[in-house]
Amino acid sequence: RVTRKRSVDKAGQFFGSGHTNNWAVTCTSQFWFNYRHVANTLSVYRSVKRLGIPDSHIVLMLADDMACNHRNPKPATVFSHKNMELNVYGDDVEVDYRGYEVTVENFLRVLTGRLPPSTPRSKRLLSDDRSNILIYLTGHGGNGFLKFQDSEEISNVELADAFEQMWQKRRYNELLFIIDTCQGASMYERFYSPNLMALASSQVGEDSLSHQPDLAIGVHLMDRYTFYLLEFLEDIHPASTTNMNDLFKVCPKSQCVSTPGHRTDLFLRDPGSVLITDFFGSVRKVEITMETINLTSPVEQVEDKPVDGDLQRETHSYVDQLPVSEIIHQKPKQKDWHPPDGFILGLWTLILLVFFKTYGVKHLKHIF
Amino acid sequence: MAAPLTLLLVVAVTIRAALFRSSLADLIAERVEVVSPLNAWKRVVEGLALLDLGISPYSGDVFHETPLIIYLFHFLVDYAEITFMIADGITAVALYIAVKEYNKQVFRKQKYALEADRYPLDCLELIRSPKEMYYIPLKVAMFYLLNPFTILSCVAKSTCGLNNAVIALFILCTIKGSALLSAIFLALATYQSVYPLTLFAPALLYLLQRLYIPVNIRRPSFWWYTLQYAFMYLGSLFVIICLSFFLLGTWDFLPSVYGFILSVPDLTPNIGLFWYFFAEMFEHFRLFFLCVFQINVFFYTIPLSIKLKEHPVFLIFMQLAVISIFKSYPTVGDIALYLAFLPVWSHLYRFLRNVFLVSCVLLACSALFPVLWHLWIYAGSANSNFYYAITLLFNVAQILLVSDYFYAYLRREYHLTHGLYLKRKDGSEATLVLK
Repeated sequence: RVTRKRSVDKAGQFFGSGHTNNWAVTCTSQFWFNYRHVANTLSVYRSVKRLGIPDSHIVLMLADDMACNHRNPKPATVFSHKNMELNVYGDDVEVDYRGYEVTVENFLRVLTGRLPPSTPRSKRLLSDDRSNILIYLTGHGGNGFLKFQDSEEISNVELADAFEQMWQKRRYNELLFIIDTCQGASMYERFYSPNLMALASSQVGEDSLSHQPDLAIGVHLMDRYTFYLLEFLEDIHPASTTNMNDLFKVCPKSQCVSTPGHRTDLFLRDPGSVLITDFFGSVRKVEITMETINLTSPVEQVEDKPVDGDLQRETHSYVDQLPVSEIIHQKPKQKDWHPPDGFILGLWTLILLVFFKTYGVKHLKHIF
Repeated sequence: MAAPLTLLLVVAVTIRAALFRSSLADLIAERVEVVSPLNAWKRVVEGLALLDLGISPYSGDVFHETPLIIYLFHFLVDYAEITFMIADGITAVALYIAVKEYNKQVFRKQKYALEADRYPLDCLELIRSPKEMYYIPLKVAMFYLLNPFTILSCVAKSTCGLNNAVIALFILCTIKGSALLSAIFLALATYQSVYPLTLFAPALLYLLQRLYIPVNIRRPSFWWYTLQYAFMYLGSLFVIICLSFFLLGTWDFLPSVYGFILSVPDLTPNIGLFWYFFAEMFEHFRLFFLCVFQINVFFYTIPLSIKLKEHPVFLIFMQLAVISIFKSYPTVGDIALYLAFLPVWSHLYRFLRNVFLVSCVLLACSALFPVLWHLWIYAGSANSNFYYAITLLFNVAQILLVSDYFYAYLRREYHLTHGLYLKRKDGSEATLVLK
């Protein structure tokens, strides 16, 4: 199930990585002064959408109270750059978990897939063992924990166990975990499942700092690590061949003030051979060919059945346990309602009685 | 007079047929002024469809018509348009014959009074001549058939047309003097909507007058005849209700039809007075105000009967007007019925005081109804108060019309007994005040 990429064989390159990409992005903070966390998440969300991952494959958990906050001087917008150059909010942002639904329990349930049966598809992480997953967490954190919604926390042990559950249930092929909080490296210290790669914005004991305040909106708009991460991602397009080693170099100490860290020991492939687009994009490699291909013989044998066309069709169809086609094509028999005969008899008798009473019985002999 | 009547019928049928074929038919069928939850055609079709599916049409709040309508339309649903046109035609012809008969009686009574010298000499100009009364029946039929309200009601296929036909036949039978038929038609009208119950009193008064039984509570003949008539009426009502039971086999129709009319659960806006009040009402007071509003319809019968016991046909007119104004779900079809009677009282024109005002208000309100409905429902720039204001104004205009005719009628009667140019004791001109 673990694929090795053969750099020489083109076909190998074609099928080199997991084939679907689902990823979960979480922003865990609410309240106006945590604007930058929302902006971080939405910017990463945007980049990933730009690189090809569709909304159906993104689980976005946001408190979602920034754009319509009373304190937002530019309502319905969340800006990620000073001077309001880029509005990362809009009507194509699909938030799957918003407000009070962003809890530790929901996050872990999304990861492990243990959700109630009534949960809609958009709120589930429907990954399989061919999926590469990107998880991005941002907010306030500490040594070994991350704050959710300023009221609960998730610990690194819980996270590691969740990933182990995912591995045992074959819910991912490869997983990239990015965290942008203070002391973020503590969150990946406890991972023990294979095929995990982690990046953090600061080491234990260091704080991740925010990038730049915007004087018109009044809060800091982005965190430094994510800002430079995004600058890096802007140069990535679906066909680029940048690999993970470049990602590790994003935001050196001179720009970030904190020291970004990464962990690749659990990852089975060499990071230098892992493309950025394996995690950030949903790349479908398509090659158009004009030549016809003969299908191999096992399929042909099935087609070589008796000449009778109907019989051939029957052998390829499902067994009809319920004759559905008969039922749906049959028009329901309209049973027309008729008034009861007693009623009609009674009514017309009465009418005749009244008629003869009024106009005299002598008319009877003219009729009969 | 048959030829002009036939021509009138042809013209009326043409107008209705033309409107049926046009695209306005659907538009009109949805207007709340023309159809109400009681008599909408859509609900009749819905009820019949439910019946075809094997469910009682009275389940749910869809169908509020009587079972006899089910029976009628079960066979006639494909010919609905013709049915309603024939109903209008029947109403017009019935009114025509009724008014002709009534005019004959009025003239006869007048002749007797003149011979008995009961009129003061100066009020001879108030005497009516056959010449002026010759065209009144045709005018009545015309007023009914060519009234835009009637045409709208017919094109919308509202069963109000059938109601009107039954009431017109009742009036015809009463004026012709046939007690049994009049009791049967009154029972049929009451069976359809509860309010024609109030027409029992004028019909009784008319029949008593026709048989020269004096209306005196001390006389046994009065009570005997009242009992007979009441027995015929209640008996036929009972028979009709039992017959309706046999149609569907259940008594479901009683709460659905009569419970609906009397307890007014549906507050769709219409041209009546109930919906707005009951939309604003607290539940605690609902029963009280329901009783007040419903009693209001029946309340005017006794005083008006006492005042107008010599003039039962005018009483019928007044009662019809009171019913149309104060019933729980009025539509313009109900108004058209009593407006058809106005030519019968055309001799009262000189005593009417508010003709201009009433006609202007009625025209303006009729024009404003769709405008304010659009503003309220579609444009959103008005609210229900606007529509209710027009409803109120419309009803006030109707009340003014009816009370004006009442005043004029009583004044003419007064003049006929006391002379046209009234003088006070000292010889100066007196004025007449309606108290």
